[in-house]
Amino acid sequence: MLAILNKEFKSYFRSPVAYVFMAFFFILFGIYFSIICLGMGASDYSYVLGSVSIALIIGIPIITMRLLTEETKLKTDQLILTSPVSVTDYVLGKYLAALALFAITIGITILQPISLGFFGALPVAKIIGSYIGYLFLGATFISIGLFVSSLTENQVVSALVTFAALIVVLLMDGIIQVLPKDRRSAIIFALLLIVVLAILFYNAINNIYISAIVGVIGFIIIGTLYFVNPLIFDGFTTKFFGWFSLMKRYDAFSKGIFDLSGVIYYISFSVLFVFLTIRKIEKKRWS
Amino acid sequence: MLGGSILIEVQNLTKRYGEHVALDNVSFKVKKGEVLGFLGPNGAGKSTTMNIITGYLSATEGSAKIDGIDILENPIEAKKKIGYLPEIPPLYMDMTVKEYLKFVCELKKIKKKDIPETLDNIGKLVKVNDVKNRLIKNLSKGYKQRVGLAQALIGSPDVLILDEPTVGLDPKQIIEIRKLVKDLSKEHTVILSSHILSEVSAVCDRVMIINKGKLVASDTPENLAKKITTINKISVRIKGPKNDILNMIKNIEGVKLAEIDRVREAGSIDIMIESEEDIDIRESVFNICKDNNYPIIQMKAADMTLEDIFLEVTGQRKGGATYVSDIK
Repeated sequence: MLAILNKEFKSYFRSPVAYVFMAFFFILFGIYFSIICLGMGASDYSYVLGSVSIALIIGIPIITMRLLTEETKLKTDQLILTSPVSVTDYVLGKYLAALALFAITIGITILQPISLGFFGALPVAKIIGSYIGYLFLGATFISIGLFVSSLTENQVVSALVTFAALIVVLLMDGIIQVLPKDRRSAIIFALLLIVVLAILFYNAINNIYISAIVGVIGFIIIGTLYFVNPLIFDGFTTKFFGWFSLMKRYDAFSKGIFDLSGVIYYISFSVLFVFLTIRKIEKKRWS
Repeated sequence: MLGGSILIEVQNLTKRYGEHVALDNVSFKVKKGEVLGFLGPNGAGKSTTMNIITGYLSATEGSAKIDGIDILENPIEAKKKIGYLPEIPPLYMDMTVKEYLKFVCELKKIKKKDIPETLDNIGKLVKVNDVKNRLIKNLSKGYKQRVGLAQALIGSPDVLILDEPTVGLDPKQIIEIRKLVKDLSKEHTVILSSHILSEVSAVCDRVMIINKGKLVASDTPENLAKKITTINKISVRIKGPKNDILNMIKNIEGVKLAEIDRVREAGSIDIMIESEEDIDIRESVFNICKDNNYPIIQMKAADMTLEDIFLEVTGQRKGGATYVSDIK
């Protein structure tokens, strides 16, 4: 794993990717720092971090778009997958390389609040909390980008799909606001989910009967739940999409609260996507 | 064939892509120290077989064992015993040769203190030391292929699997790579694939012909050639007018077919003669030419080359033997 991590991290610096990525972040941090801290005289650096969360949406696809696409396209994955290295090591190495680049970039921006510290007292807890939250947010976004890069051989497609996915995640709180909250639409939504689940099953194992059985069992469960306790469907749709609201968890960190549930949430989200990526690569060998 | 233990054992390998059958129930064994050649047209299943043995792909059915270790059950251990050069060498274009080979060393878990020595030895063996500080993307095709080979050799694996190692190289480089493979076969068991027949017969102890995912023949190159060699096809070069000679030959008793091949020497014609089974017409041809005063410049049996065997067993033969000189 270390070999892949090392190689991948260096390859960022062999291409313009690392420089573009870092420059992009530093410019945005610089602009917001100038406006918020220097221009408006605010000592609360967490405002800057809050404002540049938008930068993740463009920045993360830049560093994740080539992670696995390039290897598949140039067939260099043949080297790695026929070496005595597990797929998990392969994917983790890639993930950690992107994470390391991101963490270092963010780490350098700490110079900004430190320089502010020379001129007065800072809300240290809020700033540290924001940084931790920002790091976790980025780590989660990277796992999404990693997964997308395993789906295609085209870097541009990989970048755009990641970009779109991250926008949806960013706007999730807004989307939740307009979703219907009544029971009937929730049931329809739940049924749709079961259909999607059955299709995913079919995609994974190519067996129409098992997929159909999964679908039917899901329908039966929903039907039973509806007759036993229809109350649980109230607000189900918003609750479901709420699980994907990555930004909501960030708010607690930016207030200087070390939210353990948020940490676990972000970590499990990343683990899920890393796991899906591993599964995806394993599956390619079988198809 | 060398005696010794069985190093690779492939059993009933089948690979399906949906409806398409890429590999159909292929079984074979490779002994230690043997050089096995896969021969087949493009898309015959050579690369698929290699990809399955190396653990890059999974078989739909069947198993592949390296030194008794199943590639699916214990992939890490089995992969340690294999060096693989895929059809397209898996090179990172933005690395230098040295960086790349060092990365492969780390990937194959060579101890850190052994890396410089390993790199030096392999660099000498495949002759890439003079370009070790150059970016791979700036190397010529021949050098890229050698770096690919170097990569496969790292960790001195028992088994070397080379997928079309000479494709796209110029004749001089092809000879170099072949020589290298021959040298390597002293210490490694080698499987190589090719659709060039002379290559396989030059380096391999045993040839397996694959077509449309099926194993159609497996024997030594000599035995395969012996199997189908016949004396009822000969090629003669006769000096004289084209039509007269052709008519004369056609009138010999026992001649089934006589065709003019292209002219290779001014003033003479090359004729391919096929006679009835069990009739040796060489003497009759000589006599009739002598009587008519047409000098025979050359006469030889149009012996079967691997190309013929290959076409014969894969059922793609369109009639007529092939001249030795036609084979690249």
